[in-house]
Amino acid sequence: MSWADLATIAPLAAAILVAGLVIVTDIVLPGRRVPALIVSFVGLAVVAGLVIAVGAHPATAFAGAYRVDDLTTYLDLLFVAVIALTLMFAPDYLAARDLPLPEFAAVLIFALSGVLLISASGDLLILFLGLELMVLPGYLLAGFAKRDALSTEGAIKYFLLGSFSSAIFLFGLAFVWGLTGTTRIDGVATALRAIVAGSTPLTPGLAMGLAFLTTGVAFKIAAVPFHYWTPDAYQGSPTPVTGYLSVVPKVGAFALILRLFVGALGPLSADWDIIIVLLAAATMTLGNLVALTQDSVKRMLAYSSIAHTGYMLIGLAAWSSPNSRIEGLEGLLYYGAAYAAMNLGAFAVIAALQRRTGISSQLESFAGLGRREPFLAILMTLFLLSLTGIPPTAGFFAKAYIILAAVQAGGPAGILAVIAVLNAAAAAFYYLRVVVYMFMREPRGEPAPIFLGRLMRLGLIVAAVLTMVLGLVPGLLLPIVGNAARALTL
Amino acid sequence: MSHSLDAYLILAGILFSIGTFGFLARRNAISMLMSIELMLNAVNLTIIAFGAFIPTLKVQGSVIALIVLAVAAAEATVGLSIVIAIYRNRKTPLVDEYDTMRD
Repeated sequence: MSWADLATIAPLAAAILVAGLVIVTDIVLPGRRVPALIVSFVGLAVVAGLVIAVGAHPATAFAGAYRVDDLTTYLDLLFVAVIALTLMFAPDYLAARDLPLPEFAAVLIFALSGVLLISASGDLLILFLGLELMVLPGYLLAGFAKRDALSTEGAIKYFLLGSFSSAIFLFGLAFVWGLTGTTRIDGVATALRAIVAGSTPLTPGLAMGLAFLTTGVAFKIAAVPFHYWTPDAYQGSPTPVTGYLSVVPKVGAFALILRLFVGALGPLSADWDIIIVLLAAATMTLGNLVALTQDSVKRMLAYSSIAHTGYMLIGLAAWSSPNSRIEGLEGLLYYGAAYAAMNLGAFAVIAALQRRTGISSQLESFAGLGRREPFLAILMTLFLLSLTGIPPTAGFFAKAYIILAAVQAGGPAGILAVIAVLNAAAAAFYYLRVVVYMFMREPRGEPAPIFLGRLMRLGLIVAAVLTMVLGLVPGLLLPIVGNAARALTL
Repeated sequence: MSHSLDAYLILAGILFSIGTFGFLARRNAISMLMSIELMLNAVNLTIIAFGAFIPTLKVQGSVIALIVLAVAAAEATVGLSIVIAIYRNRKTPLVDEYDTMRD
């Protein structure tokens, strides 16, 4: 360990420090919301600055356990942005329910340290630590409204299934470590390359270890058939938390998948490729079919987020074909950013609607919104069109890149392209149903007008602008995504 | 020596299976937490067995086992606090009565 090693973990250290500072602020100025928010936003800006500064010089540190490359920088900036947006959406909602904002901000920023660790990990054990640091605050956030029966119910389901899957992942990790003799991602890849070349056999223990790792990860991204915790955890959580849960832990788990499957298990891609194809097909189809039957918009978006997991998995399936290695990863990474902007935005609109307590996320709550609250209704329409994948929005290019990569890959991944297109068409029905309610139905009675806080308004505009920009000029993000994809494949 | 490593791994596998069965079959949230702890202990047994029987893994094994212990403790803390929170709302630890949300 040297000073240079310590310098590479500066963003991570800063994130933990900022979370600590937020807590200290709350102790010094108890219950004050503005100072905690200022410390959080300034701290997040510092973290982002450090990410960019450290990311300018790709390096490995701590004997290969930690690696900073273009992928790290891209994902880290995405995560910091999502955390900042969540902090903009949360204050109004929390204040209406007498929930403490400073604690919320501190827990959220602790979770950030977890995802920063995942995206810069060169070691399976560090990946696992990052995963735990990411999900533990997530359980707390899901149960943040601790007097609310729904919130705690969602939290306990999220926690039980989450730690169950962590144990499965860890059991697999123990076997892979014991039988390859290393937890370094490069080391595992080297050992697997020897197996593929035929110089050493694939022992049953190692195969079992790899299967357990895959299962553990499939739980974390909520791939069908490991998804059944998702709808309850998402529906029960306070709405700004749902937005966060649907983006950060999911994209974070995808970062883990990229490090694990592409980095460590890459040599075996011919063997796991069919598993990913099956997972992707089942996840897209089931997520969309069940979303069709939902009346709660929050629960519908939970199932839609499962479907989006399926679309993202197509990128990984495309990677395993030599024709479309870079394209598949580019598609997946682009999808991550687009999904973050549009999904956070959609949940933020629901959070804004629920600013006054007692408003459900049922479809009826959206009736007549176009006349009552044109600003919210137009933004919601934009986010929903983007989730459907209609141009010129971020969701269109995200789906286009993924599907193009799948077509280029051919084989089983090519079939996924067809399934994805059919799914996107079916999904349009339930997304547009919300738009129909907003603009063509009259509300029962006359609901009170909605007051939007300044931060909330700003956050919504940022999410909307990102959704539009990624849909109008995808060329802005493409070179960055390309560099990130190449950093991983090198 | 390798024969006895297998014995430990099989024992760990059995422990892990008992934990998995307990998690899937029990209705009490506390029992489910205990089952998860059992699974994590099986993981630790695996790690220690590898460390004890393969000389090159000895040091790494101890470090990984300690890290797993710390993670298990953190998880138990968060888990128990959530169980207490839901118990206050619902007055029952039985998970199949937590069924407010339906499709």
